[in-house]
Amino acid sequence: MLTDSTITEERVRISGKGRELEGLLAYPAVDARCAALIAGPHPYLGGDMLNNVVSTLVKALASQGSVTLAFNYGGVGASEGGPTDKPSTMSEFWKNGTFQEEFDWIDDAGSALASLRQWCDLPLVLIGYSFGCWAVARNLQQSCIEAVVLISPNPTQHDFEGLSSCPAPLLMVHSDNDFTCSVPAMMTWFESIREPKTRTQFPASEHFFRGHETAVATTVLAFLKHHRVLGS
Amino acid sequence: MTGAYLEVLLTGVTGFLGHYLLAELLAHPRVRCHVVLRPPVLRSCDRLERLLAEIGLDLRALMSQQRVVPIEGALPDGIANENFSKVDLILHAAGNTTFHGNGSGEPAHTNINGTRAMLSLAKATGVRRFVYVSTAYVCGDGIGHQPEAFSSTVPRLRNDYERSKWEAEKLVWEWGCKYGIATICRPSILFGHSATGRASATKGLYLVARATEILARAMDTKNSVNRHQIPLRILGRGDATCNIVPVDWAAQHIAQIALDNASESTVHHVTNPDPPTHHDVKTWLEAYFDIGGGQFSDATWPLEDPNHYEDLFYSLGNICRDYFRHGLTFESRCAAEIPTGRRLIDRESFARCIKYAQDTNWCRTSAETFELRRPAGNFDPKWYFENFLPRTVPRSIISQVDELTAIVKYTITGPVSGCWVCRFEKGQLLDVHTGVGSPRPQFEYRLSYDDLVDVVSCKRPLQEVFFLGRAEMLGDIERALKMVPIITEFLNQFPVTCSENDAAVSCTGEAC
Repeated sequence: MLTDSTITEERVRISGKGRELEGLLAYPAVDARCAALIAGPHPYLGGDMLNNVVSTLVKALASQGSVTLAFNYGGVGASEGGPTDKPSTMSEFWKNGTFQEEFDWIDDAGSALASLRQWCDLPLVLIGYSFGCWAVARNLQQSCIEAVVLISPNPTQHDFEGLSSCPAPLLMVHSDNDFTCSVPAMMTWFESIREPKTRTQFPASEHFFRGHETAVATTVLAFLKHHRVLGS
Repeated sequence: MTGAYLEVLLTGVTGFLGHYLLAELLAHPRVRCHVVLRPPVLRSCDRLERLLAEIGLDLRALMSQQRVVPIEGALPDGIANENFSKVDLILHAAGNTTFHGNGSGEPAHTNINGTRAMLSLAKATGVRRFVYVSTAYVCGDGIGHQPEAFSSTVPRLRNDYERSKWEAEKLVWEWGCKYGIATICRPSILFGHSATGRASATKGLYLVARATEILARAMDTKNSVNRHQIPLRILGRGDATCNIVPVDWAAQHIAQIALDNASESTVHHVTNPDPPTHHDVKTWLEAYFDIGGGQFSDATWPLEDPNHYEDLFYSLGNICRDYFRHGLTFESRCAAEIPTGRRLIDRESFARCIKYAQDTNWCRTSAETFELRRPAGNFDPKWYFENFLPRTVPRSIISQVDELTAIVKYTITGPVSGCWVCRFEKGQLLDVHTGVGSPRPQFEYRLSYDDLVDVVSCKRPLQEVFFLGRAEMLGDIERALKMVPIITEFLNQFPVTCSENDAAVSCTGEAC
């Protein structure tokens, strides 16, 4: 357990579908106002719970009153499972940018969400980053969600139909030079989404927000406070 | 036996046990082995050749003598009936040791469906003898003395692996009741070779040893805790036994059981009659790694409020699993042959196995068959890109990523700088270029010499260097990013020791 003056971080285990996942749970010293799940990037693209954006968000949210759970998808870190035939899945991923076992990782996000709900009865916020946006969108039907945050989603590759059935306020954060999706394509998709929604565009942050992590976290916190999910 | 040879069909031959089994079978001059190898068969043959070479056998020679006949096939559905002609005996040793199903269908796919498929083929082709390699832990959470008998009552199974093995045993036993003679061999936990310590895989108890090594390394650095008083809860009971057996001993007995003329279906435990206790194992590991302090605990997984040392020790997951909880004893005819007073595994043989595993980077190397030596002095990127990569990529996971076709530039800055352009086609490294005339790269990695050293020695993952802003990806970023996990897997297979003090140290590479 790591403890600083305002938040506590602890490693947790999450019961997934046929596998145990590793999670990082952070929570404030004082009473929490909400619970947030953060789904990180694609495991084959450096996605783990210690990712620069994910870990910054974990600390920022917990310090502002959110019980926050990040997790490692199956096969990442100390999470069990993952693709058994790595060369084949890497080959398929190289060729098509996707492979069947990705749906297990979507299920992992659902399992993490179920665990978080079990651990605390608080208003829920779902946050996805990159591939995690898809994982979040595919699990929106599971729960009553207070707010949704999508950071660098890729609507040209993933479907986000799940958003239409979730009325919660949506924040979309993206960069103006994201290699996964051009700004016009992002705008076209964003305009097609239901209200209420907010969009924040960061200049020259690429897909990775290196050096802009705190600014992203500040934007997310402001959005959650605006919608009174977090206290001001 | 239908001809000059007893024709044995063997599955799982590239596994830890399987290649020792093949060696034991071939020790009988009138046995011919038809070995099922995954497609592409040439690649599987290469792997089998390396494994056998390590134990003194020449696969090419054995194939030319028709003592070993490769059959391309993948369980459960990829073996043609015509390849089974003239087989007298099937020894089904292929298995999957995934403990908990993870959505891929394993371990049931290989263990249940694969066994069912082999039994169907046996039935279809008239093979009358079927030997199945199961596990001693098919008894699940049972207690006390386990008989050498098939239990038609479902035991209290602890995980998907045990369940799949029990289901497979049931299929084999039922086949034996109807169509032939079924023999079930149940080895306990396989450990390294009794004389050399050699292993080709390091799962099971080896994970506990690896975790102990991680802890010991952490204690090598400045630490406020005495390395012999580490506050660590070890999930399990010290007085329970840890039933490990040397792989060569298990292979010898399973081969002997398979080749015996059986008149009826039987079950055999291939287990250790005098196994060490978990306390013994703990003491041996502590002595080997020069640490101490761990205490056996009734705590459950996951640990509540793990401390820093527990986080380190369990960083590989729940390494103790359920098997440290209680010990079992097994009825065993094999074990009865062991002279009184001789232990299959003692402190010395245990240490020998751990040393072998360490020396081979936990079986990611094969020191006897593959060794590259780094030139003395500081790490040289030129040597790495122009010598090391061309020799290691063909043996690595990269060569199995069939769709990987890319032209990649590596730009190294700092005291030792340079640019290298590597051309990959269908997973193969075609060539490495430098300077004028190099092909136009699709993407580029740019990092400093110091970071390259950290990356190739696995001190720091490439993606971390990138996210720290110390490496850049240029050009087709998506491709560059997609290649990172492939490179990472490669680096884990072939880490390079870059310390100047370790000049001329072996660079290691996976051959398992």
